[in-house]
Amino acid sequence: MTLELDGLTRRFGDIVALDRLSFTVPTGQVFGFLGPNGSGKTTAMRAVFELVTLDAGAVRWKGVPLTSNDRRRFGYMPEERGLYPGMVVVEQIEYLARLHGVPHGDARAAALHWLEKLGVVDRASSKVEALSLGNQQRVQLAAALVHEPELLVLDEPLSGLDPVGVDAVSAVLVEQAGSGRGVLFSSHQIDLVEDLCESVAIIDQGRLVATGTVEELTTRGRRRLVVKVEGDWTGAWATVLPGVTISRVEGGAVRLVLDEDTDPQAVLAAAMKAGPVEQFGFERQRLSEVFRESLA
Amino acid sequence: MKYVVIGVVVVIVALRVWQRMRRRAGATGSPQTPVLARTRHLGAALDRFGGDIGLVARREVRERVKGRTFRIGTLVILLVVAAAVTIPVLRKGHNVQHVGIVGTLSAPLRATVLAAGPALGTKVILVPEPSVTAARRALVAGRVELVVVGTQRILVDQGLQPSDTSATALLVRIISSSVSLQSGLVKAGISPLQALRLANPPPLPVQSLHPAPHNQTARTTAIYGLILTYVLLTQFGTWLLMGVVEEKSSRVIEVLLSTLRAGQLLAGKVIGIGAVALLQAALIVGVALGLGAAVGSTLIHGTAAVEVASSLLWVVLGYAFYCWVYAAGGSLADRQEQVQSLAFPLQLPILFGYIVSITAIGSSEPSTLIKVLAYLPPTAPFAMPVMVGLGAVTWWEFAVSVGLMLVAIVGVARLASAVYLRAILRTGGRVHLRQLLPSRTS
Repeated sequence: MTLELDGLTRRFGDIVALDRLSFTVPTGQVFGFLGPNGSGKTTAMRAVFELVTLDAGAVRWKGVPLTSNDRRRFGYMPEERGLYPGMVVVEQIEYLARLHGVPHGDARAAALHWLEKLGVVDRASSKVEALSLGNQQRVQLAAALVHEPELLVLDEPLSGLDPVGVDAVSAVLVEQAGSGRGVLFSSHQIDLVEDLCESVAIIDQGRLVATGTVEELTTRGRRRLVVKVEGDWTGAWATVLPGVTISRVEGGAVRLVLDEDTDPQAVLAAAMKAGPVEQFGFERQRLSEVFRESLA
Repeated sequence: MKYVVIGVVVVIVALRVWQRMRRRAGATGSPQTPVLARTRHLGAALDRFGGDIGLVARREVRERVKGRTFRIGTLVILLVVAAAVTIPVLRKGHNVQHVGIVGTLSAPLRATVLAAGPALGTKVILVPEPSVTAARRALVAGRVELVVVGTQRILVDQGLQPSDTSATALLVRIISSSVSLQSGLVKAGISPLQALRLANPPPLPVQSLHPAPHNQTARTTAIYGLILTYVLLTQFGTWLLMGVVEEKSSRVIEVLLSTLRAGQLLAGKVIGIGAVALLQAALIVGVALGLGAAVGSTLIHGTAAVEVASSLLWVVLGYAFYCWVYAAGGSLADRQEQVQSLAFPLQLPILFGYIVSITAIGSSEPSTLIKVLAYLPPTAPFAMPVMVGLGAVTWWEFAVSVGLMLVAIVGVARLASAVYLRAILRTGGRVHLRQLLPSRTS
């Protein structure tokens, strides 16, 4: 059960918003859709809901083109948010639940359940416009979740939230993925969400830059070592080693990039010769580094 | 009569109290009475009706009817209608002239004074006053309108201008001349009974070359119908416009369209707001007719019933025509502030039709302009009821106008839906129609 974006292309005049963008979102894991501002994430997500017409490409669900019935079982949280400002919170969520096919008798209970879970049930009978932005965002998330969707598509769900809010929303995303649903969410803060995602697709200027599991992406390519030798602040000992490049030195910790055939044991031996080794280990790349490297 | 007005107010207050109690009962989750439980069942059954369009329509009805603007607005309109229906009747009821009599007045003279009333469409009541002083006090206090002091003079509170055509002034003139004539005749030796006959001769019959102008009642009804149509079309059109702008500017449209088709949303909105409009129109007409029947107003007599039905039909047709235009207009906006500038041009044809029609209703013959406007769909909701009010239209002419309107409604609905579908998801500034032309790739 996967969501497949296949060759999505969209131009706005001279601007290319999506350029043959293809990637697959598996269910049962949190999938991060990452890229700088204006890279086309929102356009791609809107394309899933046919809110933007594509010049080319197709979106498939379980291997077949998406239908409006499929979309009804998805949950969507748009980037610019969107709720009726003057409508009572619980009635609004109930209404959206009904539009997604939740039966009359269950819609109110489902709405209250999600408001409770997201910590805004005490504002259930307030109007949306009376809520703080953070609370409005929680209500918006409740609107996306209320019908227990098979796939969640959340555009920047963490932006504008305080750390407690980020933790609460992250926990919901992990829980949803854990129960076998698809969770696709976008973020422009690539490193911030690294720990939250199992897999990612990174895009820039509408083009796919990299996709795969975070594990694969951050450990692929040349190996990286971080070595700290007591009393050494420059890492001069490493400059003479063949097949080793110093990427940076910070507080005496030397970060090294090894060539394919360089033996880490040789590096360790050289470090021990320079002094007592305090720290020695492989280091994963940060996703932002993967992004920058992929662009280069 | 005033009891009817009081009755209406009492019913409205009672309804509000009942609603508040019901709301409170719902909020505290107290056990439901069987009646309440039954209404819930009815609500649940209704809630399954009409699919997604029904859901959208019901939300519109709920949100609109709940709004304070609607409730206060409806109440104000109802009060105005109640006043318009009852006040003329109440005023007519007040049309009684009290004539104080000082001293003795012979039976034939009393008959002359009494006979002056019906000629003016009023009723004269004689009030014996013991003395001139007492009569003066009664005049000042307003208990009597005039005092006949024997056959010598007539007393009034304030001097009367020759141009004064009030019932009292006319009565004073008639009584003054006929009593004077009658007592003069008696003094000249003619018997009092003969004098009475001579002072009150039977009026000459009046023959007219043309029949009287058309039924005034139908015209009055047509005026009320025009005002109602104008108020409802502009009010509910603006609601539709604002509703569409609200969805677009708050971006809730994206959430809605992730599960609904734009056509379903539009249809639901039009039906929901239309249902509220129809409900309000029915309420207003119901109260007007009910009160009219209760107080004996002429509003529902004669051909006016046809006029009421035609006005209601044209309210519905007018809404069905303009709702699409307003919805499409709303989809062009990006922010709430643009509502005014978008609503104004849409209101122009309505305003034009309304003004031309309301001025035409006073004329005896419909002008060529109004005849033409009665067949043009944007102005027909105003001009055609006027033609009916003037009795200047046959049933088939009426049917042709309705037919043209129906065709126009289908055309406008298709065009407006196309604009709506193209514009509703475009953000970042006002959308101009030329941006939506199919030749341009969007």
